[in-house]
Amino acid sequence: MTGTWTIFRREMGQYFTSPISYIIAGALLILTGLYFNGDVAYSLTVKAINPSLIPDFMATAMIFFGPLLTMRMLAEEQREGTMELLLTSPVNDNAIVIGKFLSAWVYYSLLLAITFSYQLIVARISNPDMSHTICAYIGIWLYGGAALAIGLMFSALTENQIVAAFLSIATLTFLYLGDVAGQIVTNLDLARAIRQLSLAAHYTDSFAFGIVRAEDMAYFAGIIVIMLFIAVRVVESHRWR
Amino acid sequence: MIEVQNLTKRYGNFLAVDQISFTAKTGEVVGLLGPNGAGKTTTMRMLTGFMPPSEGSAKIAGFDVSQDSMEVRKRVGYLPERVPIYPDMTVQGYIAFWARLRGVRNPTKQVDRVLETVNLSDRRNTLVRNLSKGMRQRLGLAQALVHDPEVVILDEPTIGIDPQQVIEVRESVRQLGKKHTVLFSTHILSEAEQVCDRVIIINRGHIVAQGAPATLRKQLQKGDHLYAQVSGANAATASKLLGAIPGVEGITQQGAGYTIRVQAGKDVRGEVAQKVIEGGYRLLELRPVAMTLEEMFLDVVGKE
Amino acid sequence: MRNENITLTRGQIGLWASIIGGIALLMGIIGLIWQGGLTEIVIVALVIGAIGIVLWAVMTPREFRAFVSGRQARYSTSAVFGALLLIGIVVLFYVVLQRAVIILDMTEGQRFSISDETRNILRQVTRPIQITGFYSPRALAQREVDDQFFRLYEDGSNGKITRSYIDPDEQPAMAQKFGITSDGEVFLSYLNTDSSVDFNTVSRLPRSETQERDMTEAISRLLISGTLTVYFDQSHAERDPLSADPQGLSGINNGIRESGLITYPISISDLAASGGNIPDTASAIILARPTTDFSEAEIGVIDRYLQKGGALFIMADVLYNQDAFLRYDGLFNRYLWEHFGIRALDAAVVDEASHGQTLLDIVSAAIYPENDIAKRLNEQNSPTLFKIARPVEVNTSPAENVPNGKVIMSSPQSYGETDLKTLGETETYHYDDGKDIRGPLSTVAWAYNRATGAKVLLIGDSDFATNSLVQSGGNGILFTDGLSWLTGFSDRINFAPQAYGTGSPVIFVDGQTLDVISFLTVILLPGLVFAIGLGIWIRRVRA
Repeated sequence: MTGTWTIFRREMGQYFTSPISYIIAGALLILTGLYFNGDVAYSLTVKAINPSLIPDFMATAMIFFGPLLTMRMLAEEQREGTMELLLTSPVNDNAIVIGKFLSAWVYYSLLLAITFSYQLIVARISNPDMSHTICAYIGIWLYGGAALAIGLMFSALTENQIVAAFLSIATLTFLYLGDVAGQIVTNLDLARAIRQLSLAAHYTDSFAFGIVRAEDMAYFAGIIVIMLFIAVRVVESHRWR
Repeated sequence: MIEVQNLTKRYGNFLAVDQISFTAKTGEVVGLLGPNGAGKTTTMRMLTGFMPPSEGSAKIAGFDVSQDSMEVRKRVGYLPERVPIYPDMTVQGYIAFWARLRGVRNPTKQVDRVLETVNLSDRRNTLVRNLSKGMRQRLGLAQALVHDPEVVILDEPTIGIDPQQVIEVRESVRQLGKKHTVLFSTHILSEAEQVCDRVIIINRGHIVAQGAPATLRKQLQKGDHLYAQVSGANAATASKLLGAIPGVEGITQQGAGYTIRVQAGKDVRGEVAQKVIEGGYRLLELRPVAMTLEEMFLDVVGKE
Repeated sequence: MRNENITLTRGQIGLWASIIGGIALLMGIIGLIWQGGLTEIVIVALVIGAIGIVLWAVMTPREFRAFVSGRQARYSTSAVFGALLLIGIVVLFYVVLQRAVIILDMTEGQRFSISDETRNILRQVTRPIQITGFYSPRALAQREVDDQFFRLYEDGSNGKITRSYIDPDEQPAMAQKFGITSDGEVFLSYLNTDSSVDFNTVSRLPRSETQERDMTEAISRLLISGTLTVYFDQSHAERDPLSADPQGLSGINNGIRESGLITYPISISDLAASGGNIPDTASAIILARPTTDFSEAEIGVIDRYLQKGGALFIMADVLYNQDAFLRYDGLFNRYLWEHFGIRALDAAVVDEASHGQTLLDIVSAAIYPENDIAKRLNEQNSPTLFKIARPVEVNTSPAENVPNGKVIMSSPQSYGETDLKTLGETETYHYDDGKDIRGPLSTVAWAYNRATGAKVLLIGDSDFATNSLVQSGGNGILFTDGLSWLTGFSDRINFAPQAYGTGSPVIFVDGQTLDVISFLTVILLPGLVFAIGLGIWIRRVRA
């Protein structure tokens, strides 16, 4: 527990003291800001404001944004040799991976919280379906957690950050596009199976519509648990490979 | 306290460490000496709990490395061969992180103490990435000591730093030896000789020899050597002249003079002086030569 | 760090054999799972894999042994098995939760929940109903969205309602049987005891914003289907409910059937001759413009039926023959006037303000929406169109317990031409003051006997329900809603869907506020973040 907390604190410190993480956050906020203003302008006349606007955007953005947050986490420890010290410190291997994962998730949550301010602006000028938006945010929060867990797993696999980022982006893209598996695969059952595996399908059909399904929660929690489990095993493998 | 019994490590069918046994008592500085790839790092990694041994056992402060890995890790300070750094942390933050991770009660105080020890107090707010190589080495030493471990394991701590810093690090290691058990690896013999109370020579996974540097020298030294410089005689006559002395086993020319290998335990200095004078030459220099551990080491390792 | 004892070539052969063998085995296993059987490719892959592994074992036996028994194999196997076990647990958990249908609807309008009214209806389902959706793989996303809505129905009906999805590309015959026209169509039907679709009960689910109402109404219709029977009288040369001609009634007949009602022909004159009765199960009798008037015996048949709470749908047109149906002074017209306070007049409505081909094309000018019949009708959006209509009269002081009323009025510029002889022979008409009836005139009237439950709907036209005109304006609505009122159909499926929000309201702000918003979100917020980052960077450079 203390180990997890210590690792978590160090990683959080890393996020808050590194200019790069501010550049990433700022760039993301510009994008979400533009996106939001576009929707507001559009909502003046044409349509109602989209309650799941920013979460929908994040669902796509996480393909690139998630790996950006996690790619260095374990890869750097291996490259700099600190992994050896971590593994000879009196901490559980789980603590290392979980601490890192939690810090990435918390950083991501903070960014989500900042974008939630848009919704407060909307609430001042309109009468939006707030609970729907909160639902979409819960969904994208879990979705992001799963994407970060996947990124972390690939960060554990290699000591090259770029390779880690590339592999995560490829996997996330696949899991994102699994949503449209039907367009490519003609066998319906296969298409369904692929779709059940995809990240987007567990967000766009439920949370984005304002409903919380237990199975989606199970899916995201499952992805997180499985990916962290694999990441721990990979970290552990330094001991015997 | 380190107790190693028949420790073995296999990678596939490659034997990295083969049945080595030794002990290191508290307050002892033990040098692990051997060429690159001899199995020094593997041995140390097993002792730190980084990797489990294939066979045999190792105990650190009474705890078995496989069974009580956590207890062992709490009691070991480890500096890997390449100093592990977080480039974007400050010196203080870096040490404090390792202190917290190892459950140090009062991190701030311990960090101050250990930075004082390694002489980095004035650099506490510098980013690790801006430290020189020698300072990084001292930083690595600091993290290994911050939790006041019973056993300190240092993997080639003097590699790749300049001579002045080498002296500093060696001095630090010697200081450590007063309170801790220090296991320290090197492939430089003179370093082991200077720093260690005991040296273990390891090659291809086997222990070749072990003991205090002086004992080791006696053990390995197969004969005495004399150095003589003679004026007026050419090489052929000189060897002929000196070779006739009973107890002399061989003569090799070395610079302006000759190295005479003598049967162990025999003092032939008188005979040498006499022969030279008798031959009508002048003896410019005559002194016994102590064989360096380096030479013995090469001797031993080369035979393997 | 390979063992030197193994010669380079042997080692290399072993290495390549192990790689090729491993990949081939993996491909073989994937193929086995994928194709679900030992196809040629799978066998070839497995054989190559086996040869590769054997070659590996022969060429480099020590390495092979080390791999199989070594710690690496042990650790990686346990890691892989651990991961597989975990994945298995997660999948199990996922499937169980998916089956359990645990859904929390967080939308303000509760758009993804079913109302208590729907639940009540679902509780009445006894015979298994199947929701059949036709989705090609391209419409998969749509299917998933729909599915979670349909699941609520499956759940709410305790599994009496089941879902079935068919890929129309894969089963074109089935798609044709249902008559699908586009991807993503959904049908509702009863299932036979052998779980096959009862095609007599198939109905298409409309696609609209109000998905719960559509679905629940479709289910209600299924529940009602077979319980409501409508009879078309055939004994007075009425319009033919089976004829697909422009003058036929096949359109409305099929429409009634699609709504789940059963239609039968009946002969009132035969019943009158044999002294029989209209079946009690008849929900309504439709008199689709009889050409001859009813005899006393026939009226007796109808009266006995109405006494038991029957319903009568009368379409009376302008006729030029002697014994025309519902003559002003005829028996039947008098019967209606005495018992229900409504009657037909011997006249034809002429509308001076008509925009139709002739002034005899009568468009509804005023609609009285007090009655269910006219609730969905509207002068502007769904006017009814009659051709050569008869005015009807409504007794303004009806008998007690028998309320009546008008439904549709013609325009104030209209009048009732009473000279039907001239009209029939020369198709000419003109207003004769004193002789003709002044407009506006009512063309549709209803009456209801509270004591017996008898209902009568009198429409002074029959052309509106023919195949050629039923689609015009509100004609179709007039017919179906008239019939629903008569049969009580609307009462039985009447259900108030929950308030459907059409999404949150649009925004009303001025440009200045918009500028402030964009400044806040695009410049200030990211700018602050960048500024903090810059500050930290400067501090680091100094450190």
